[in-house]
Amino acid sequence: MAYMLEIRSACKCFGKGTVNEHTALNNLNLTLEPGEFVTVLGSNGSGKSTLFNAISGTFLLDSGRILLDGEDITFLPEHKRARNIGRLFQDPMKGTAPSLTIEENLALACSKKKKSSFSQALGRKDREYFRQELERFGMDLENRMKTRVGLLSGGQRQVVTLLMSTLVPPRLLLLDEHTAALDPATAGKVMDITCGIVDRYRITTLMITHNMQQALETGTRTIMLDSGRILLDMDQTRRRELTVDKLRELYVSAQV
Amino acid sequence: MTLFIGSLQLGLLYGVMVLGIYISFRILNIPDLTAEGSFTLGLAVSAACTLSGHPFLGLLAAMAAGSLAGSFTGFLHTCLGIHPVLTGILTMSGLYSVNMLVLGGTPNLALMGRDTLFSLAVSAGAGLDKEMTRLCVALAAAGLSAAVLAWFFRTRLGLYIRATGDNGDMVRASSIHEKRMKLIALALSNGLTALCGGLIAQYQSFADISSGVGTLVVGLASVIIGEALLGRRSVTLGLCSSILGSVVYRYIIAVATRADWFPAYMLKLVSALIVTLALALPALGTMTETYRIRRQGRTAVCISGTGMETAQRPYGPAAGRGGRHNGIHA
Repeated sequence: MAYMLEIRSACKCFGKGTVNEHTALNNLNLTLEPGEFVTVLGSNGSGKSTLFNAISGTFLLDSGRILLDGEDITFLPEHKRARNIGRLFQDPMKGTAPSLTIEENLALACSKKKKSSFSQALGRKDREYFRQELERFGMDLENRMKTRVGLLSGGQRQVVTLLMSTLVPPRLLLLDEHTAALDPATAGKVMDITCGIVDRYRITTLMITHNMQQALETGTRTIMLDSGRILLDMDQTRRRELTVDKLRELYVSAQV
Repeated sequence: MTLFIGSLQLGLLYGVMVLGIYISFRILNIPDLTAEGSFTLGLAVSAACTLSGHPFLGLLAAMAAGSLAGSFTGFLHTCLGIHPVLTGILTMSGLYSVNMLVLGGTPNLALMGRDTLFSLAVSAGAGLDKEMTRLCVALAAAGLSAAVLAWFFRTRLGLYIRATGDNGDMVRASSIHEKRMKLIALALSNGLTALCGGLIAQYQSFADISSGVGTLVVGLASVIIGEALLGRRSVTLGLCSSILGSVVYRYIIAVATRADWFPAYMLKLVSALIVTLALALPALGTMTETYRIRRQGRTAVCISGTGMETAQRPYGPAAGRGGRHNGIHA
């Protein structure tokens, strides 16, 4: 069986040899099959974000291997990994360039596949394509393609970011609490759109969330991290048996 | 009339440098002090080549030398992690020696009687007045540079550079090579600044080691004047407004010196004041707004001081104790 993502005994320790020494990833193993949608739970400091940063290459692991679709990416620089890994952050400001227009932002993401650096970034065909894609969301963004992204609301920006990271479907999508900064209604809408896109292209996805209900209901599998290791790994059948209350009990027992 | 045309010529020629400043300051969001050194570098290289009879080659060499200086600043900043303002200062200081070296150890070089871009154009210009021909050359230089840049910033690479200056967080997490983009943009910016220096050397048939002093402030002043006139909507408009700003700046100087408001040596101070004022405008706006709101609030309290007190209480501290705190923690 070929895995889409395979992490073998990943270790990462910050501030080694100082009083602040902190083991963020402790011999962590994780494999994702193609098309899996995994929600990630864990308290603050459990290593969720470190895991994401390690996968996307913000820093290198102290030891261990990361394989994406069979290819060893352990030592690949961040921008090269980004061709195959889409990433969304909690902060809607982080994923888009505010003084560029919506269509320019989308062109930024789309032009990954074009070859020449000196080709025009925005053609008529690109615009038509972007318009079609934006229409799906029903947020009237298709009629505001020449609007600067800085003028959009957080939810709208997050939707544009989502489209940017999936315009060329990535092999792996990392969602780092990407709805946490939005109001409940918008968060729900962005979540629906996310699930729609992930389903459509069957993108392998990891999603960090602190909402247990959401963690159990979304996707196909849930993992819980604690002190840099995977504490719980629940597939669809085990998730069905679990309620939020039971999960909270597990959460608390893990803290002790 | 000569003052009118002369200022226009200078404005257009310096416009090339302002384009460079626009790239570093507005697009890349780095106030790049390398410009002070790379302007003189272009001036020196172009003068040295012109002296040996190669004016065209001189302009190309000036541009290449400037790009190299910009790349060096970019290297210090992106690869060695030195603060961008400090890298500019370092390169600028180092360039002083390089510039003296290029000028052959003398602080200035005269090109009287040598073939320059402008003298060649005048002798080739069929029937046109001498000053008009020189104006045409200046116009062509500024127009061509702006047109090429307008095209460039619509390409994929151009868009990457714009995104790099706009949101570093996003670019770092994307497939764009952030460091390379900064390097390219700084090289381009200083290449243009040096090209401008090269043109100026041939325009005035004279090169002086101290010509570059204040380049950045003059460039910033021009960019800001241009934006005040045409607004800040798109990059293409920004490029045009930079050139316009440069021309207007030269006219301000021409009028000021002509009217004898102040001696020529006061110009740098005036430029610095223009830039300071323009950069401070947003903050000054907030200050006056805050002042206005406060004053209005005070008058409102005075008016309501007799009978309105009870009506205002729901918004006062009594109601705030329970309701507001819950609101924050929810």
